[in-house]
Amino acid sequence: MSTLTLAQSQRIIKETERLVADPAPGISAAPHEDNLRYFDVTIQGPDGSPFQNGVFKLELFLPEEYPMAPPKVRFLTKIYHPNIDKLGRICLDILKDKWSPALQIRTVLLSIQALLSSPNPDDPLAADVAKHYKEDEVGARQVSKEWTEKYAT
Amino acid sequence: MAKVPRNFRLLEELEKGEKGIGDGSCSYGLEDSDDILMSNWNGTIIGPGHTVHENRIYSLKIRCGERYPDGPPTIQFVSRVNLPFVSQTDGKVDPTRLPVLANWTRNSSIETVLVEIRREMASFNNRKLPQPSEGSTF
Repeated sequence: MSTLTLAQSQRIIKETERLVADPAPGISAAPHEDNLRYFDVTIQGPDGSPFQNGVFKLELFLPEEYPMAPPKVRFLTKIYHPNIDKLGRICLDILKDKWSPALQIRTVLLSIQALLSSPNPDDPLAADVAKHYKEDEVGARQVSKEWTEKYAT
Repeated sequence: MAKVPRNFRLLEELEKGEKGIGDGSCSYGLEDSDDILMSNWNGTIIGPGHTVHENRIYSLKIRCGERYPDGPPTIQFVSRVNLPFVSQTDGKVDPTRLPVLANWTRNSSIETVLVEIRREMASFNNRKLPQPSEGSTF
């Protein structure tokens, strides 16, 4: 095992230990027994958002290049949000070009939780949901709330 | 080596398929665009030139089960076709008679299956097999 690979493995182990021992509020992440780069994640919908009281399941994978490349994350629970598409893929800059190795699994999950509080319809992934949010925010938030009750509780 | 889990592997394949692969003679996509488990796919093969399949468009259904990509997908022709590894009853591909499925590895993909089936269509033994009328389905 090269030094770099060893350092990468140690970083993953440390991050995992901290995630389990000292979880961020409203967030859980547990690695699969047979694949320590693959995590089952839950995020509670933030208070004051249409996702409040919902518990959303996600999956996260640390690719070979991590931490030089960002984790891959997607929602498994259906969610009505302008930056999350029908397959649960997430439009978030730090998961793409704004990734930095100084970020961690924890910061990524906190950013996703923050994205639930502040949808950004100007940088949409789900065009129809973004249009709804721009034209009728009250109505769109109501649909988000209904989906939360239907799929995330 | 990091082992890419099923769902992230299928997302990669989806994104590759959406961009279009090779010369366009094989293509694939999700049957239902909000199938969160990405199990059911449609595939298309354009019959290879200078064979009985030339210019024919073949539709297939591809199913990636829970074990994918550790286990192979199941393949079924929708369009009628006469090939030795395709059941003439329901269009199902016999995995024991198609090497890419029989000798499946994680390096294979939906794309490689379609490309291999197309290669079989053009093989010496199959290129002149009598075919059902164009456009008929199982």
